[in-house]
Amino acid sequence: MRLILFDRLSDSRKQFYPLALSRPIWELRCGITSLADKLIAKIGSQDVACFVPPYLADVYRERKSWPVNDVASLSNDDLLLVDARVKADSNDFPLDGPSQAICSPTGELLVARVTAGDLNGLATDSLDGLLEAVRDKVTVIEQNVQTWNYTWELVLSNPDQLIADFTECGRSGIEGAVEQPNAIRGNAADVYIAPGVVVHPMVVIDAEHGPVYIDEGAEIHPFTRIEGPCYVGKQSILLGAKCREGNSIGPMCRIGGEVEESIIQGYSNKYHDGFLGHAYVGEWVNLGALTTNSDLKNDYSSVTVCLDGKSSIDTGSTKVGSLIGDHTKTSIGTLFNTGAYVGAMALIAATGKPLPKFIPSFAWFIEGVVTKGFGKRKLYATAEIAMPRRGGEWTAAQLAMWDEIFSMTAPPREEAIKKGRRLLKSQNS
Amino acid sequence: MASVEDRVKEVTARVLKLDSNEIQPQQSFTEDLGAESVQSIELVAMFEEEFGIEMDEEAALSVSNVSDAAEFIAKVCKEQGVEA
Repeated sequence: MRLILFDRLSDSRKQFYPLALSRPIWELRCGITSLADKLIAKIGSQDVACFVPPYLADVYRERKSWPVNDVASLSNDDLLLVDARVKADSNDFPLDGPSQAICSPTGELLVARVTAGDLNGLATDSLDGLLEAVRDKVTVIEQNVQTWNYTWELVLSNPDQLIADFTECGRSGIEGAVEQPNAIRGNAADVYIAPGVVVHPMVVIDAEHGPVYIDEGAEIHPFTRIEGPCYVGKQSILLGAKCREGNSIGPMCRIGGEVEESIIQGYSNKYHDGFLGHAYVGEWVNLGALTTNSDLKNDYSSVTVCLDGKSSIDTGSTKVGSLIGDHTKTSIGTLFNTGAYVGAMALIAATGKPLPKFIPSFAWFIEGVVTKGFGKRKLYATAEIAMPRRGGEWTAAQLAMWDEIFSMTAPPREEAIKKGRRLLKSQNS
Repeated sequence: MASVEDRVKEVTARVLKLDSNEIQPQQSFTEDLGAESVQSIELVAMFEEEFGIEMDEEAALSVSNVSDAAEFIAKVCKEQGVEA
């Protein structure tokens, strides 16, 4: 059986922006692994193919060995088609038996099993065509399929998912170097230090309230305190960090200051002091010294997030920090408001005050307003310099993808630029 | 109505906190008038607001002096059908 993951352009996809602007939803992290890793482990298929929005396809092909947007993967085997938002742990999947489609009560087709025999009578020349045909010709079951609906749900679920993933992976013990003196609190069985890890002296690993997994090649500098549950990704470096509970830090990050219940996708820097809480940070982000986000309102009411520059969504949670897209850079002293949406490829110069709750992608936030700044090519040039420093590469496919994202994200940015000009004029009058 | 160059001088004076009478056409925004990079961005935004136009930021930021800015803006106004 072949697993087909699909992530189609839709309004529900926008609920994962700015992180999903530049990757399929299933590449997002929760706990130790990505959503795709969890789906693949749950379903147990070694044969995986995927369908992503066309503008992401070339970049994703550079990252994955799976067939991407390849209609040939829709034939010659039993298929299990799974929407990117479907939760792995909370659902049962039809791994055998006759063809069937599982739709949500609102009619969204989220999971489908199609036998190789039935595929012969269905259109397989496109994913959309196949899903349409499945809906028409296969038994449809209405079911309350559990899905991820917003990025902040991943952040809020992260502590529990870390514990579940640690149990699932079954690893424990110290395979790396732990230089003394050091302190491991709690149950030693709740700590895994992978080969190649170097833990410097004067580090506290506190697993009393949850497991700590430090992955291969990571380096933990003196005076770092890591509270479980926590995952530190491959080759990441913690620099005297106050790493409080519930963090997932992807590969090749540099993390200092205070971080709490946050997810950092990978390849990002938060080198210096400053607080990051209940946040989701993308790749190739640089948070300048003392960059801080609020994750709790002073009146303890639930946090709202604005995903489109217009309307706000009540998260239902009192704790939500910032959502920060790939390649965004902040200056020293940047202050993000509670539940801030910070687009991808944005450049933020601090104002000394908390910034607006919605900052569009490709915004140059200067003097307290969104401007055109030096334009996207300057941002691309910075990415081209930054990426090879961590083994990445700025490719022609990435350039094309970001150009498309620039167009997709234009309306709220242009609106913000116009508003910014009016504000600047009033300030200069 | 003030000329494009006079309006450019007025905007420049407001943003850079200068006396518009002391701004000369051949003066460079950065070297002679002291515009830092952030102020260059602000100048572009303020020229757009003053003239009601949209400028390509890279082309606009490549203009170095007051006279060239006036010429560039006049050209953009013409292209976009805006009376300068």
